[in-house]
Amino acid sequence: MSEYLLEMRGIVKDFSGVKALDGINLMVRPGEAVGLCGENGAGKSTLMKVLSAVYPYGTWEGTIRWEGRELKARSIRETEEAGIVIIHQELMLIPQLSVAENIMLGREPAGPGGFIDFEALYQRAEALMRELNMPDINVALPVSALGGGHQQLVEIAKALNKNAKLLILDEPSSSLSKTETETLLDIIRGLKARGVACVYISHKLDEVQAVCDTVTVIRDGTLVGSAPMADMTVDRIIAMMVGREMQNLFPRQSHAIGEVVFEARHVTCWDVHNPARKRVDDVSFQLRRGEILGVAGLVGAGRTELASVLFGSYQGRCEAEILLDGQPIRVRSPLDAVRHGICMVPEDRKHQGIVPLMGVGHNITMSVMSRFVRGGFIDEADEMRTVEETVRRIRIKTASPMLPIKSLSGGNQQKAVLSKMLLPRPRVLILDEPTRGVDVGAKYEIYTLIHELAAEGMAIIMISSELPEILGISDRVIVIGEGELRGDFANENLTQETIMTAAIRTDAARRA
Amino acid sequence: MTTANAALGAAKPRRPLKIRDVFSRYKILALLLATALIWMLFGWLTDGDFLTPRNFSNLLRQTAITAMLAAGMVFVMVSGEIDLSVGSFLGLMGGVAAILDVYYQVPVAVNILIVLLLGAAVGLFNGVWVAYLRVPSFIVGLAGLLAFRGILIGMTDGATVAPVSPELVFIGQGYVPRLVGDALAVGLFVILAVVTLRSRARRRLHKLAVPPMWQVALQLLAYALGIAGFMWMLNSYYGIPIPVLNMLLILGVFSVVASRTVFGRRIYAIGGNQEATRLSGVNVRKVKMLIFALMGMMAALAGITTTARLAAGSPSAGSLGELDAIASCIIGGTSMRGGVGTVHGALIGALVMASLDNGMSMMGVETFWQMIVKGSILLLAVWVDIMTGSDR
Repeated sequence: MSEYLLEMRGIVKDFSGVKALDGINLMVRPGEAVGLCGENGAGKSTLMKVLSAVYPYGTWEGTIRWEGRELKARSIRETEEAGIVIIHQELMLIPQLSVAENIMLGREPAGPGGFIDFEALYQRAEALMRELNMPDINVALPVSALGGGHQQLVEIAKALNKNAKLLILDEPSSSLSKTETETLLDIIRGLKARGVACVYISHKLDEVQAVCDTVTVIRDGTLVGSAPMADMTVDRIIAMMVGREMQNLFPRQSHAIGEVVFEARHVTCWDVHNPARKRVDDVSFQLRRGEILGVAGLVGAGRTELASVLFGSYQGRCEAEILLDGQPIRVRSPLDAVRHGICMVPEDRKHQGIVPLMGVGHNITMSVMSRFVRGGFIDEADEMRTVEETVRRIRIKTASPMLPIKSLSGGNQQKAVLSKMLLPRPRVLILDEPTRGVDVGAKYEIYTLIHELAAEGMAIIMISSELPEILGISDRVIVIGEGELRGDFANENLTQETIMTAAIRTDAARRA
Repeated sequence: MTTANAALGAAKPRRPLKIRDVFSRYKILALLLATALIWMLFGWLTDGDFLTPRNFSNLLRQTAITAMLAAGMVFVMVSGEIDLSVGSFLGLMGGVAAILDVYYQVPVAVNILIVLLLGAAVGLFNGVWVAYLRVPSFIVGLAGLLAFRGILIGMTDGATVAPVSPELVFIGQGYVPRLVGDALAVGLFVILAVVTLRSRARRRLHKLAVPPMWQVALQLLAYALGIAGFMWMLNSYYGIPIPVLNMLLILGVFSVVASRTVFGRRIYAIGGNQEATRLSGVNVRKVKMLIFALMGMMAALAGITTTARLAAGSPSAGSLGELDAIASCIIGGTSMRGGVGTVHGALIGALVMASLDNGMSMMGVETFWQMIVKGSILLLAVWVDIMTGSDR
């Protein structure tokens, strides 16, 4: 038997003439973690779909050898039976079912007459949790009661229950906080020790560095290289991904900071489903003209809720005093907010940002349609002029503005959503995770744009889970923890440690 | 920053078109072809009786009522909702029109105006329940389906309201004078030609691929032949039936609304992603409410036409009309998930449904068989659509 658990050689996947993958090799030894890196659209997901037989054997070229034998799987069921389990970026859990039921979904132990043997179900689930060193989790709770990190854990337990020998994790930490990510990485280390291999796909290279033994980099569907992690550095991986050395991740552009334009006082909101629980508790802050305010905090701390209250899109009960130029304004819907010059780019691009089947141009102009109306009809030539101007200015790469937006890469979709919310010429722009799922190159462009906007005098609120981004971009940083304002710092000599300490401060105090 | 996303800008190499691609790209063409096949089949089965000008005229008139409902339903469905009450509501509005005409001798023009406004008002009421009170449209429709029929039966004591005045009957049974009809046909061709050429020029301006001129010429020739053939068939009988004219007007107006107005654009945006649309500062609720108002108005027009066509207000008018309308939309390519659908597609869908009704009736097929066949065709049509879909 060969030393490899998995050998993928010369994989070529053709989409009606366009080669999405062109001769990729990927090797994984038992108990090894392989980092798979590449910009969005490089072909990582396609490669994993080939491996997990989402694209069945015969629709691609090349060979896959699994445990020394050629694998010719035609369905995900077959690959799962072989021991290859993929955990998607969007978790596939059923929120209403319990942790145990989710873990055992499709493999419920049944007693006579087809009734579920709940005793055995819970026992098995608890045993799996112990294996993952998480014996504290109550497996009878509904999954919706868990945080993102622990939900990820449920997915992994589910995979282990299928006797997975190779786990594929696709951007597993994209919605996890720092501590949750640490938990995840520890779990992966534990799995490796037990001989379970994994392919770790992530844009977060420090995580790849922390947990992977080997790293494989692909670009534009071709293999750039594969090397032991010990021989690699983050800088080198980035250079391989983008095909050039990246001098500076964060552009710096000085911009003047002026008078206070926006002020939020006593922002409080209650959970939509649990009216007794406060999601944001009496947060107040000011924002100046031309200022970039970073909003840091753990995932679930209430940052997104805070933003949606300010933008009038919060679905539950909320209270806030919002002042623009010192005058109180009412913001009860996104429409009110946009009219007052407050715009928001939401965090979940796919569900809140784009209308996937509509053209790029029509997506962009959605926020300002009335501007193009002549005598009741849309003046399409006028609209197109605005679209083309915007596409050029924001550097959205698309073959035509009429193409459906879903055909663009994540970074370009994000730039389009950003453009949509820039067209109303906002005075206050709220960006919620503006670079999530965006590749390194596009990130840099978005950062540059944020600085340009600030230089033009726009006041910007940027929520981000990536501390380097917060520190690299912001003029000032506020920290939210458990719905409360935990800190308000000028970004001078500010460190990640300071922010993290502020974010988890009371947790630490409580434990002590 | 040019290396990032380089893959995207790359032009895709041309490749030979497969028949399946053509069909998935030009669904309407496939639909027209299917319609032609159905016609040929019935023509053959009825020894040519199906294809006579007289039957053609009847067929279109039959299509008109379903098409009016389908036109409204397209917007409802594209926005991601559904309205099950339109059949009953059609009956109710037809009943109101009949009562105003028979018992109160209200002049036809005033009568129509009252009924259309009433239709819009009740549609608005439905829309408030859906958009503002957040009751699922399926339930609001179901409630209306029962309640409106109940009101109609109560209002008429379950009896037919007749005789309707000849002026009202004209709305359902009359014809456009031949000269006017011919002028309209020529006008239509001119509009189509101008629109086609202008959109080509616009695409060229935005550096999009444009079809070669000979292809455009061929397309225009096809339009001309289509319109000429259409007029020839109708003129061989009595000319354009009034309901057919109304249907074509609705087709024109609704198509323009869908493609050239903010309201239309918003309908597709809401259906495509309601949350993204709301967060773009669009008043989603208002748009939805207006869509239902428009639907109500279309049901009212269909109701008037039905009463006029039967020359009586019938308490059972429009039964199952909602299902015909929904089936028409779906056969015409409207997605149940919202965001996708065209008015002309729905109208051709209505034509297919009417062709099946008409053809099978001519063959003397029993009603129960007709229902079975229509059900099967609906199922098949959607299956074919899924099989040929581009994003499977």
